Formats: sequence, structure tokens, C-alpha cells
Amino acid sequence: MRFKSSSGLAAIVTAAALVLTGCGGGSGSTDTPTSADGKVDGTGKTLNVLVGVLSQYPEQQKQWQSDIAAKFKAETGADVKFETFASANDELTRIQTSVVSGQGPDVYGLGTTFTPTAFATKAFVTLSEDDWKKVGGKDRFNKAALGISGPDEEHQAGIPFVSRPFVMAYNKELLAAAGIEKPATTWDELAEQAKKMTKDGTFGLATGYKDNFDPWKFIWAMSVQAGNPIVDGDELKLDDPTVKKAYETYFGWLTEDKIVDPASVGWSNSNAVAAFASGKAGYLMMTTSSSLPTLEQSAVAGKYEYALMPTTAPGESSSKNEDAASILSGDNLVVADYSKQKDLAFAYIKLITSKEEQLNYQKIFGDLPANAEALESLSGDAKLKPITDAAAKSKATPFTGAWGDIQLGLLNVTVQSVPDLAAGKVDSSDLEARIKDSQSKGQASLDRASKG
Amino acid sequence: MSTDASNEVRLAAESAASRAAHSAADTAGQEPSGQKSPRRKGLSERNRPLWMLIPGGALMIIIIVLPLLLGIFMSTLNLDQYTLRRWISSPFIGVGNFVEALTSSPLLHATWLSVSYSLLAMVVTLPLGIAAAVATQNAFKGRAVIRSIFLIPYVLPSFVVATVWRTMFQPDGIVDKALGTIGIEAGLWLNGPQTFWTLVLVQIWASWPFIYLLALSGLQSVDHEVHEASALDGALWWNKLRYVIFPYLKGPLSLAFLIGMLHHINNFTLPYVLFGVPAPADVEVLPILTYVTSFQSFRFGLSAAMAFVSLVLIAIPLFVYLRAVKLDDAESPGAKK
Repeated sequence: MRFKSSSGLAAIVTAAALVLTGCGGGSGSTDTPTSADGKVDGTGKTLNVLVGVLSQYPEQQKQWQSDIAAKFKAETGADVKFETFASANDELTRIQTSVVSGQGPDVYGLGTTFTPTAFATKAFVTLSEDDWKKVGGKDRFNKAALGISGPDEEHQAGIPFVSRPFVMAYNKELLAAAGIEKPATTWDELAEQAKKMTKDGTFGLATGYKDNFDPWKFIWAMSVQAGNPIVDGDELKLDDPTVKKAYETYFGWLTEDKIVDPASVGWSNSNAVAAFASGKAGYLMMTTSSSLPTLEQSAVAGKYEYALMPTTAPGESSSKNEDAASILSGDNLVVADYSKQKDLAFAYIKLITSKEEQLNYQKIFGDLPANAEALESLSGDAKLKPITDAAAKSKATPFTGAWGDIQLGLLNVTVQSVPDLAAGKVDSSDLEARIKDSQSKGQASLDRASKG
Repeated sequence: MSTDASNEVRLAAESAASRAAHSAADTAGQEPSGQKSPRRKGLSERNRPLWMLIPGGALMIIIIVLPLLLGIFMSTLNLDQYTLRRWISSPFIGVGNFVEALTSSPLLHATWLSVSYSLLAMVVTLPLGIAAAVATQNAFKGRAVIRSIFLIPYVLPSFVVATVWRTMFQPDGIVDKALGTIGIEAGLWLNGPQTFWTLVLVQIWASWPFIYLLALSGLQSVDHEVHEASALDGALWWNKLRYVIFPYLKGPLSLAFLIGMLHHINNFTLPYVLFGVPAPADVEVLPILTYVTSFQSFRFGLSAAMAFVSLVLIAIPLFVYLRAVKLDDAESPGAKK
């Protein structure tokens, strides 16, 4: 090889060096100064915030972001730059690259069930007593909402932002027509009521068996209500009879009771919402306050109410866990450990978890406040009452990095059973084999978690 | 037509084809070095400015070689969400991930699914693509429109194709209703054993225009004289196609076969959007398995090992192909064969 021109070579080397530094370039700012009165001075700084896109309210979300950025600027002098992710996978990719490279957004919005996984990476700040003060004190938050912020009270990384507890909606007219006075509080009663409402193309329940999340939530709820915590220390308990019973009940709605539309084997949650909105179903299972805007503009507007989902496990006469009306669901905020402006990040979180901002957020997007005072002030709203009740009666899913795998295993049992469901019968031994498979995979994952 | 006659036609056609190929190669070979013999080391070869390859070479190293080495390195680590943050220092477990991938994960099943689905889709798309190319070879009114329409499945993003098909395949969806009118109860398309065939079907729909494109390019290279010669020799359409035209298509189509297979084996979007995650066991193809291992179970090391296995899997046919068909370069004319 001959190099004709040494200046040409120099140019190439320089260009290559530029490319390389470009890859590794980051801001090298130092921590933000805090003045004596606790106000953070962030003049000239930019805080990067990564949150999920609210596909139902794209315009409103942009508006909210620019409003809050203006307020933050007025308070601290710093700018906020929002980035959004479209899906959990998007988010995960961002987190992974940030974790490995040690740079990226300062503040992340995380779904509650994803918080344990994120915590396991140790890439986020575990809040000290002092840090909690910077976000307005731990007491400012709804106690239940803190249930999935960390493995125990001393080690919490997730700061609750909003709650999105799961409830069911019911069609008042259909219930009244079937002579039902009030919505069911046990799963057995629910099936009985649904049978009465099922006729002429109307079904008692609307739910989607092909949804990517709903199925495992039913199984989790019914099992926990029967006294099985699913994860007990280092042991996974999917092979417990309560889990099988839960699947049998859940599948039985379709195969035995025939109270759901047979087409729902292919439905996701949104299909179920649509069926309920057209007045073709008595109950809409596993929904949140975010279905409110859709239902308000539908054929059932004014004819429906929300209610707590049953808390008494199938075949039982009383609940062993009244507090498991819903999984603890919503969004947490976490601050990246690599962030060089943590105080600014805490100041931002303090702003958006204040009572006023939380109530404002609820008004626009329907999500319940994580701020205790703000939540309290909403309990007078009759329509929201069952939902705020559910927020207080939410139970956190087990806090382990293995939860992702366990959840996948629970869901996989349903996915592989769908063909049997469609055929009208899920064979007991097949079901057992599928649960066993999920049990062994989940247990392996749990074993790694306890070592990790 | 008797065998003799058809043999005659074949011989005539072959000689015509080889004449055409040679004359084409000759002109190509003469271009770079004027009248000189191509094998003598010319001035240009001794004094080649190889340093100009550096930018490309550096980019290749950064974009291809480094990530590949990193991937192989990762596959030897017990890398998961607990060790991700300090991933360089996560525990080294040698071939542990490969052993786990091969013995206690569905990797072999996934490989079998990937290869069989890709082959099936390929076997069906080949004749389809060729037929489409031949049908649009001769000029007729509206040919340009037809050719454009043929390309629609190919230019649609995979995501869109999968979303549309998923909607059509819903239980009680448009496909079920259409089949219902002629009395067929099709069953589930997006769950259960039939999913495999759903995947093959949609893949065929989405990828035959690729074969069509390459077959078309092959047809374009057939000289006018060849058509004329075979017509003079009295070849009818099938013989002409079989012995005159197809030899021209061999190169482009084997390339299409190879690229198509690689593309199918690597196709993630289609099964992911069609069936979601976790996928039904019958369509848990390699990319889906690798994805789930990495991004649902957070076993990055294990999934790197799986990815490496699929790389090897893909490299085998690629290697065989490259050995079999030495691609032409400008300096050694007719290197093929």
C-alpha cells in the first residue's frame, strides 16, 4: 500500500477522530447550585425528560409539555426538553443505551410493572431522606402508590406520578333489564350476573383474550385474592392450584359459561371497549379511567358506571386479600444515576407532583393523581369514586427483576391456549403442562434475580 | 414435438447464448486497460492508490467488524439486567450461553421453523415471480401500469403489510367472512398451528415482487438476436423459455434465492406485528426468539449467543453460494464457471 500524500492521510485521521469523539460526546456540566432557600438555580441548563407518548391525546400532551416547561423556566431558569417513546420496547432500548453509555435523559417516566426491572439495572437514583425532601417529602404521595417504588421502604427509586388503577365498567340499563341491583363483588357472582345478561347478541362480559397485558392481570388478581402471592421469597408459585383455578375461571367464561363473545379470542382490550361502547356487553372488564373519553362519546354515554372489580376469588366465599382489586398501576418517575443535574431533576419532579399540577393533569388526561391531597380532593366526584377507591385498594405486583419473565410466562399460557379456547375446550392436562412450563422458566429467572 | 427437434433447438439456443455472453464479456474486458492483456501487471496496478480505501475500511471496521466482535464477546458473558450497567465486567462464562441456547432453549425448534418457512416461501415465490416477469416482458397496452401494480407489495413497509393482514385475519374478520360465503370454516389464523401457514402466506404475498424484479432484470439482458435466432429455429414458447430464456435467468434468480432466504430468515417485523409477543409456539422463529430473550427476559448474553448461531446459519448458504457462483469482476471476464 502506498500513501501518496501525507496531508491526505492526516485529513483522514482527523476525520476519523472527529467521528469517534462525535459518538462519545456528552455534556460535561457539573451539578446545579442550590441556594439557601432550597430553590434550584438552573439558568442556562437543559433538563432532558423521557416520557411515554399519550397516543389518545397527542395535542393535549404537547400543550401540557410546553406549559410545564414555561413554569419550570420561571421557577428555576432551566429549560425542559421532552422526548417521547411510542412503546415499552422503545423505552427499553433508550434505557439500555443510556445505562451502558452513561448518558441520556435525566428523568424517565416508567410504567409501574417495569419499575422493578429498571431498578435491577441499578442505573437510577435510590432516593435518600434528603432527596425525598427535594421532591416535596414522601408524605406528599398516596401511600399505596409508593408500593412499587422499590424493594422496601428504605430503597425506593420510583417517584409516583400518576395512578391508573384497573376497574370494570357496567351498563346500567342491561343490568337493570336483567333484574340485577348492584354490580358483582365476587367472581362467581359476576359469572352468574353475566349469564342473565347474555342473549340475542348481547354478552355479559367484554374482555380481550389476545390482549398483551390483560390476561395475566386476571390470573394475578384471582390468585392473590385466593391467598397466593405468586412470588413468595425466592419461590415462584404458579404451580399452586389457585393459579390453575384462575385460568379455568378466566377461560371458562368463554368455554363453559359462554358469557363472552366467541370472537374475543382475537380481541385486544380496545376491541372489548368498542363492544361495550356499542351497548353489546353488560360488563367491560379490566379498564381504566382512560376509557372515559371513548365511552362518553359512545352509545352508552350516561348509561354506564365504573365499579371495583371483584375481590373474592372464584369458588371462595370471602376474600383473603381485599386490597387486590387492581394491580398497582400507573407511572413512576426515576432520575438517572449518571445525571449531572440531579437537583434540577428533583425540582422538576417536585413541580409536576404538586397538588395543582396533578389535578390539572387529571383533568386533561384522566389519570389519577399520585399526590395524596390531590387524590383526596377528587373523592367527592361520584363518577371517579370507584376509581379512587381502586387506587387505594391497588396491590403491587412482586418487586423483583424477574417479574418481566413471570408476567410473560403468565401471558404465554393464554397465548398458547387460544386455539383450544376457540375450539371450545381447554384440556386440563394441556393447561397444567403450560403452567408448569411457565413455572420452571419463571423460577429460573427468579433464581438469577436472587443472585443478581 | 420430437425429442430430436427439441434438442436441436436447445443446442442452437445454447450456442447463441454463449456467443452473446462472450461478446458482452469481451467488450467489458477491454474497457479498463485498453488493448493490453488484462493479466499483465500494468502501471495502474502497481501504483494503485490503495490508501483511498481507508475511509471505507475504517467505516467497515466501526460499523461491521467491531459490533460483530462485541456481539461474540457478549455471547460469552452472563449479561442480564443485573449486570448490564457494568457490562464489561459481567461474569465470563465461556460457552455457557451456547450450551444453554442449544440444550434448554427453543433455539433448535426456532431454527427449524425459520429455515422451513423461508424455504417454503421461496419455493412458491420463485415460479410466481418468474411468471409475472415473463407475462410483462412483451409490450402490451397498459404494461407500465401492471408493472407498477406488481411492485406494490414490495414497496409497502413490512409493518403496514403485517398490520393490514392481521386485521384481515381477525376471528370473524374479512378473510373468515369471505371463506364463510363458500362454506369453509378456516379456524384461527393468528393463533395455533395454522399460524405457520399464515406467516408463509403473508411472506409470499410480500416478497414475490422481489423475485419478479430480479427475473425481469434477467430477461432484459436477453439479446434481441437470441429471440430472433430461436424463432428462426422454430422454437415454441415452452422450449424457448426452458432452453433459451431460463439459462439467462440462472444468475439473477440464484442471487434472488439467496437474498430472499437471508431476508426471510432475518425477518422480524412480519411475525412480530402479525402475532405479537409472546408468539404462538408455531411461529417462534429465530428473530422473535432472540428478541424475546433480549428484550423481555433481558438475557443479553444468551440472546447474543442465539444471534451468533443464526449468523452461522446464514453464513453457510452464503458461503456455498459465493463459492459456486464466483461473481464477475471487470478484470477476469466470464469468471462465472
